[in-house]
Amino acid sequence: MSDIVGIDLGTTNSLIGVMDSGFPILIADRDGSRLTPSVVYLPETGEPVVGAPADRMRALMPERTLYSVKRLIGRRPGESEKEDFPFAVKSLSGRMVLEVGDQLLKPEEVSSLVLKKLKVDAETSLGRAVDRAVISVPAYFNDLQRQATKRAGELAGFTTERIINEPTAAALAYGLDRLRDRSRVAVYDLGGGTFDISILELNEGIFRVLSTNGNTRLGGDDIDRELVRLLKERITGRYPELRPELDDRQFFARIREIAHTAKLRLSTEDAVQVEIPFLSGNRSFSYALTRMELEAIARPIIRRTRSHCLRSLDDAKLDPVKLDEVILVGGVTRMPIVRQFCAEVFQRLPNITQNPDEAVAVGATIQAGILSGVVQNVVLLDVTPLSLGIETFGGLMNVIIPRNTTIPCKAGEMFTNAVANQTSMQIVVLQGERELAKDNWELGRFNLEFEPVPKGIARVGVQFEIDGDGILHVLARDTRAGREKVVELSSAVDVSDEAVEKMIAESLDHAFEDMSERVWTEAVLKSNELIPAVRSALTLVGDQITSDDQRKIDLLVLEVEAALKGHDSQRLKKANAELDEGTQHLATLLIDRAMSEAARRKK
Amino acid sequence: MIDYFALLGVERRPAITEEILKEAYFRKSESLQSDSAESGELSAVNAAFRTIANPATRIQHLLKLEFGDPGGGQIGADLGELFGLIVKVLQNADQELGSLSAQSSPILRALAYRKLDGLRQQLEQVERELSQRESGLLAEVARLDQSWLEDTAHTRQPIAQIALDFTFVQKWLSQVRERKIRLEELA
Repeated sequence: MSDIVGIDLGTTNSLIGVMDSGFPILIADRDGSRLTPSVVYLPETGEPVVGAPADRMRALMPERTLYSVKRLIGRRPGESEKEDFPFAVKSLSGRMVLEVGDQLLKPEEVSSLVLKKLKVDAETSLGRAVDRAVISVPAYFNDLQRQATKRAGELAGFTTERIINEPTAAALAYGLDRLRDRSRVAVYDLGGGTFDISILELNEGIFRVLSTNGNTRLGGDDIDRELVRLLKERITGRYPELRPELDDRQFFARIREIAHTAKLRLSTEDAVQVEIPFLSGNRSFSYALTRMELEAIARPIIRRTRSHCLRSLDDAKLDPVKLDEVILVGGVTRMPIVRQFCAEVFQRLPNITQNPDEAVAVGATIQAGILSGVVQNVVLLDVTPLSLGIETFGGLMNVIIPRNTTIPCKAGEMFTNAVANQTSMQIVVLQGERELAKDNWELGRFNLEFEPVPKGIARVGVQFEIDGDGILHVLARDTRAGREKVVELSSAVDVSDEAVEKMIAESLDHAFEDMSERVWTEAVLKSNELIPAVRSALTLVGDQITSDDQRKIDLLVLEVEAALKGHDSQRLKKANAELDEGTQHLATLLIDRAMSEAARRKK
Repeated sequence: MIDYFALLGVERRPAITEEILKEAYFRKSESLQSDSAESGELSAVNAAFRTIANPATRIQHLLKLEFGDPGGGQIGADLGELFGLIVKVLQNADQELGSLSAQSSPILRALAYRKLDGLRQQLEQVERELSQRESGLLAEVARLDQSWLEDTAHTRQPIAQIALDFTFVQKWLSQVRERKIRLEELA
């Protein structure tokens, strides 16, 4: 039997590994690096460039250098908020595509270029062909995102043997040395673009996932983005005339890189000097960024992981005290503030023995070993992260397979004709946790066909099956006729084009709205609520901010007051928005205080 | 209908310890994975575990196997009373959470959040109450497990009642906990 490789296809970096005499080994490329940046540079002529050399092109050719494509894979245009990519992302017949020059690429095509590079690295290192792979995905990926990832593997020339959840893989990497143990572990996985939390039970070689939760749009990139915003603010504070230049794509890419490097260094240093020489002409910028400043920005983002942690504990029916270990995975968990946060939520110090960048790839490699039979006496029982259901009467979601059901699993539903001689009905398949059908992901829809018979006589069973990759298969069986057929889910392309059009129409409505008196009245109401709120916040936690910040807030309040005297609704709206933004940090402090007060009361 | 007790090789009765059930489930999944079984069989084993692990679905499955009918009817009278309280607390929570999430200013939201301590306490109180009922029902299952072995026919009605009550208590508990998490989320 040929080798199966394990691949961590990450938002920021990707890795590949193979089992070697019973041990998972990660493979280095010809430059000796095990981490391949998930970046693809497409030159005007010639072959695509992948990995570190492509990464170096990011600041030089931002519109031809594609990164963080994992954020787009399996997504529809309507469902993602605007991303700050320096390259062009377009919608084409209901799909996201990347436009480089006159070339259009699907996200999975870009990912397949990264996978191809890893394949070549592995083949060079092993001296033989590899064409079977286990690829990891965030646990919280939905069906479409999994399918697109599987397709990326196939485009790269792999048979995708298994899609494995990243935190589960990390747990495998951690648990392989502890095969005789019985313990419960939480894997907190905060990467560049996604957050996952999984709770597992290890039981003498059996890895059983109890629950999983997360957010596929939450990660270190969000911290970078906020940091870029802060730096831009500091730059325009010093050189107001540079404001228009800061929106330039190339410039954005340059600051982004500087911000990212500063963030990494602040995990071990208390302050770093951010230098941007020759910002414009001979103006240079230098700024002492402290860890405290970075943490003030990062805190609200990291706090967003909290409810996911609580939900997964709840679903696993576990108190944090019953956990034996909390394992940290993903580059962002190097930040001290993340470690503190985990210690707080799980009431124990996290385990940082795993290399946060490599654990997932090692685990994917072990899973490859299990599938090829090299690793024995290890059983993996994973779950489906999202509930699967269908739309029922009244636009509600009717759950058929609840989240955290162990996979593979099957569930059925019986349908009948509501009127005589009805020949078909439409079934809408949904994935997600919301009560209203429209708030969930629509995986697709299909027509269920009936024989023309009197009302309520037809009997068609629909079976939903989630396989070991977490991918859905639908089977319909006419129990009266005894016929069976595999149902193809048509993708919801039309729907999402409609949604996009609706969004455009709505944004036009907003353009006219400004002329109305209503906008002014609303803005005034908001100001009148906001100003006293800011004052009382300042008396509560004002002593915790610098006098510099205090002065800035005072100025923002003055601007709102000045705008109230005029009758310019645009100006007042802008002043309100700026005050909102300027008091974000103050709000965080208030909530911190409320939380610690609540915690004290409990004791 | 598949007999899930038989599939996992555990005794067909109302109560089972977590240890024994897991042991049986793990042994079964291990044997299936090693001879790369059909995913259909694995699905059935997973479904069996899920059904038997939960007291409510376990009892309903047991009653269906024994009598062809899970039984049931109406929830117990004292649960009905508790239900009134739960509905009030949940409605109150939804209202407060709704107005909090509609608040776009971070500072206004932070100030509103500080006032939600009363709501949090209400939710916690209902949760405690429900958890107590849950353990009470579990104790009841253990007691009825004995009488089931002695006299299955007469235990049928009370045990069906327990299963039904259990379903509701679990559902309410998860609704209350979801509100608690949403409260945290909006912070």
